[in-house]
Amino acid sequence: MSALELVRLALSRLRRARVRAALTMLGVVIGVGSVVGLVSVGRGTTARITAQLNSLGTNLLTISPSGGGGDTLTLDDATAIAALDGLAAVAPEIQTQGAVATSATNTTSTSIVGTSAQYAQVRAYDVWQGTFLSPVEVEASLRSVVLGASVATNLGLGADSVGSNVTIEGIPFQVVGILQPKGGSGFNNPDDQVLIPLGTVSKYFVGGTGVRAIGVSVADGVDMQSMKDSISELLRVRHGIGATDTDDFQIFDQTQLLQAASTISDTLTLLLGGIASIALVVGGIGIMNIMLVSVRERTREIGIRKALGARGRDILSQFLIEAVTLSLLGGLIGVVAGLLVSAVIGRLAGWGFIFDPATLVVATAFSLAVGVVFGVWPARQAARLDPVVALRYE
Amino acid sequence: MSLLRLEHVGRDYDMGHVTVQALRDVSMTVERGEMVAIVGPSGSGKTTMMSIIGCLDRPTSGRYELDGRDVGALDDGALADIRSRTIGFVFQSYNLLPGTTALDNVATPLLYQGVPRRERQARAAAALERLGLGERLRHEPTELSGGEQQRVALARALVTNPALVLADEPTGNLPQHQGAEVLRLFQGLHEAGNTILLITHNPEVAAAAQRQIHLLDGAVAGEERAA
Repeated sequence: MSALELVRLALSRLRRARVRAALTMLGVVIGVGSVVGLVSVGRGTTARITAQLNSLGTNLLTISPSGGGGDTLTLDDATAIAALDGLAAVAPEIQTQGAVATSATNTTSTSIVGTSAQYAQVRAYDVWQGTFLSPVEVEASLRSVVLGASVATNLGLGADSVGSNVTIEGIPFQVVGILQPKGGSGFNNPDDQVLIPLGTVSKYFVGGTGVRAIGVSVADGVDMQSMKDSISELLRVRHGIGATDTDDFQIFDQTQLLQAASTISDTLTLLLGGIASIALVVGGIGIMNIMLVSVRERTREIGIRKALGARGRDILSQFLIEAVTLSLLGGLIGVVAGLLVSAVIGRLAGWGFIFDPATLVVATAFSLAVGVVFGVWPARQAARLDPVVALRYE
Repeated sequence: MSLLRLEHVGRDYDMGHVTVQALRDVSMTVERGEMVAIVGPSGSGKTTMMSIIGCLDRPTSGRYELDGRDVGALDDGALADIRSRTIGFVFQSYNLLPGTTALDNVATPLLYQGVPRRERQARAAAALERLGLGERLRHEPTELSGGEQQRVALARALVTNPALVLADEPTGNLPQHQGAEVLRLFQGLHEAGNTILLITHNPEVAAAAQRQIHLLDGAVAGEERAA
């Protein structure tokens, strides 16, 4: 008997027992549906994490003091690093906390960051209105300020406020630009800060030359690790650190964080998929159960078929194909259902619809496997029936 | 060469602590083109005879040859092959496949011979038409009368042109006039040259055959030939 004949036979049988077939398939539908849905939600999460990390700045290395030494990193270090080959931009950051106000009553407390004109490039900020700090303003340590999106909102400043004055800790500054929001909230909100020229900070607010961090954007095509190594070597020499001593700074590679985060997300996806596949196994057991019942109910039919010339393997294939048809159909419906659900969730969560053709292939392969694994035993029972006994079965 | 030959055939059933001898030392032959009835009361071993002659079962002792092949020596696959190509079954309870049209029922034996679908359907339709069921091709068993169902079963037995038509109480479930009609069909087939083996407890049915073999307690009790 050809596979086509068997499929035709299976379909006509399933058509005759529609409700039962539908209920049996439901288990596989739910199993495959949740695997597909959860995996694709997991991928959405990964994609979102990746996108957020990219928004922090591409090819970013962040050098910061370590070991609780405080001011181990200086502006001179930043200047020395900037002289290295292979860097697209360098932005040292000095940070303090202060009140920004437009009037006595309209005031907000925020981070005041002194930096260079390359900060926007290093940290991947886009300017919404006006301009970022210019090299001239930074060089001259002018009282110019660029507002983070949250600060502008808090102070009620809109597009027309570029060129107007605000006070920082009582000292008047001219607003030269307002940044695009990056999103994010709570601690370390990237939109809750104001940016002023590096020299201006030490001139009016904080003494000393210690910097909070030096952001470095590595030029395209330059290996991150080797850049990291050259910066590390430079700083060790400058800081007089012996071969066996530990660094008084750390270089943080953004791709490390990115990899760590997507590893976590991938693991979660795998975990969710694994839990969902339990449902698939339960669905498979449902198929096995119903196929066993079916073999019992159709004992006489099996006897008749054997009397009419069916071999054991004809009967085996008939029941196996029936089980596989159930699981495959269930699997396909499950894939569609899972994709629909993940499309809805993706839309609500804002990462859009992520479709991976591999999911389709894997889900189909799995439902096929479920049909075979859970269909073989009942089918063997059917094939092994003694025709004499089967024909007499009432 | 005889179509079928049984030599000292026995069939024992092992029922745990007792062994039941359903058939003992049965010897008989059936020639091609004969119409033979195996007659006996219930419990005389008729059904076991049918199972063995129909290659659904093997003898535990003795030798059974069908069409020159020693059935006892064949494996399950080869037995299925013989059932498919050499034997056409007609059962007392019709044994049509439920929820399946008359046409598909009749086409099923051809399915197991690997005949392509189109040819299957054509041959099944022709077989049904020969038995006067041309109007009933798409009917399912529950939509047919007993007589019609048995004619479908007969069409199914004949569609493969088997060497042997094996009928187990073919009129057992039918009202008398329908039973008589089915018997006339068998006689017609016999006249057309088919070899027919009727298994029955009913002397009137047996009388339709050329030759009757009486079975009692699993053994041949006698044989009579129609005048």
